Amino acid sequence: MIQFSQVTKRYPGGLTALDNITLGIEHGELAFLTGHSGAGKSTLLKLIAAIERPTSGAVTVNGQNVGRLSRHTVPFLRRNIGLIFQDHKLLFDRSVIENALLPLSIAGFDRREAMKRARAALDKVGLLKRERAMPVALSGGEQQRLCIARAVVSRPALVLADEPTGNLDAGYAIDILNMFKDFHRVGTTLVISTHDERAIQAMGGRVIHLDHGRLADGA
Amino acid sequence: MRSWLAHHVSSFADASRRLLRTPFASGFTALAIGVAIALPASMYLAISNLNRLAGDLPAQPEISLFIAENATQGERDAIKQKLGAHPAIGRHHFISSEAALERLKAKGLADITAGLEKNPLPDAWVLTLQQASPGAMETLRRELAGLPGVESAHADSAWAERLQAMLTLGRQIVLLLSALFGLALVAIASNAIRAQILARREEIEVSRLIGATDRYIRRPFLYFGALQGATGALAALGILVLLGLAMDGPVSRLATLYGSPFRLASLGAAEGVAVLGLATLSSWLGAWLAVSRTLRKFG
Repeated sequence: MIQFSQVTKRYPGGLTALDNITLGIEHGELAFLTGHSGAGKSTLLKLIAAIERPTSGAVTVNGQNVGRLSRHTVPFLRRNIGLIFQDHKLLFDRSVIENALLPLSIAGFDRREAMKRARAALDKVGLLKRERAMPVALSGGEQQRLCIARAVVSRPALVLADEPTGNLDAGYAIDILNMFKDFHRVGTTLVISTHDERAIQAMGGRVIHLDHGRLADGA
Repeated sequence: MRSWLAHHVSSFADASRRLLRTPFASGFTALAIGVAIALPASMYLAISNLNRLAGDLPAQPEISLFIAENATQGERDAIKQKLGAHPAIGRHHFISSEAALERLKAKGLADITAGLEKNPLPDAWVLTLQQASPGAMETLRRELAGLPGVESAHADSAWAERLQAMLTLGRQIVLLLSALFGLALVAIASNAIRAQILARREEIEVSRLIGATDRYIRRPFLYFGALQGATGALAALGILVLLGLAMDGPVSRLATLYGSPFRLASLGAAEGVAVLGLATLSSWLGAWLAVSRTLRKFG
């Protein structure tokens, strides 16, 4: 599903975030990205979602070279990817349900159908009772779960999560990892960057270890 | 299609809500746009009123040929024949003394004409030239003044020509000013939208990350811009009405002193709609420019 071929990403100023990476991730695979901070985990995820473009090499998703996508086709790529951010990136001027509805509204869903799906997604992450609440009233763990609901509400085949448990204590982290396990079970491809060793041991799955922008092992 | 329409509706509703949520800022933007429109529009009104006032005056150079009161029928016929055959004369028509008096009455000077014992106006011919050059005009005037039975001949259109030239100049100035203030309007609108964009930066960024197209992101801002332009145009029309009310009294008094029934005309419905449309369009354009610039910056 995802293929990196000799991908190098150099940022302006000379920092090389990824150095000649070649790897593939299959449909339905669960892959963990590990490594010290600054090892290139976030950059790798950003290249898949076309948030960044490679300096050289090719990143293909479903056979599409995403580094070459035009401005106008990038949005349609992103609609097939669920993005989960460490800092949640919720919109604080609207309610929980409106946050969950945003991807469906963007994709042009009928409002009624969208409401049904948004409620189902909130139910899955245990936030259905808080649908009218504002995000500011949610705890850190709840905000992360809302971010997950928003990422999966349009049922994407691929979910990318950047340090999804980074700011959470152990109890919440296990909750969230269990949700990912459920998504994996129904066939979603998951790429999760983390430095949480417990998580990886608890879940199993493939580990891709990055060290200063290079693949260390497991690739 | 339905969801596309739904997004238009919700974008419009969202834009109106945002406009109403900050009544102070929106009000001042509307006022700024209103003034920018009202300035050239009021000049346009002044010119078109002057134009109406000058409308009765001959735009083409004319010569008025007054017939002596004691001219014989033979002399009158000879003059008529001469005018019909003269190569330098274009059109000519006769105004009898009675017709001239009627015309004065129709112009609202009945109270003056009523006091007259007998009609003081002479019979007259009014004629235009085939080719209007000041030299030809003067030659013809002299020639006609010398005919038997002619009291006098006047070439009195020079000032009318000057007035027309000034009005043309005025119209040109209005046109240029409108273009300038139109630019100012785009800038004002674009600036006001920039404040909106800054306030919603996060929303734009997040929407892009989860697959919003530029078009989708732009839409509510474009509606905001259009609404802002429309409220600005309404403010401008309000300003024009107030200006009209303030000017109406003095103008009527002046006109009455000159015995004229002239009254100020205000902006017509079609012109009002044009102002509304143009303001909405330029403010929309300002919004488009501001949003597109921001979207390009996000990359």
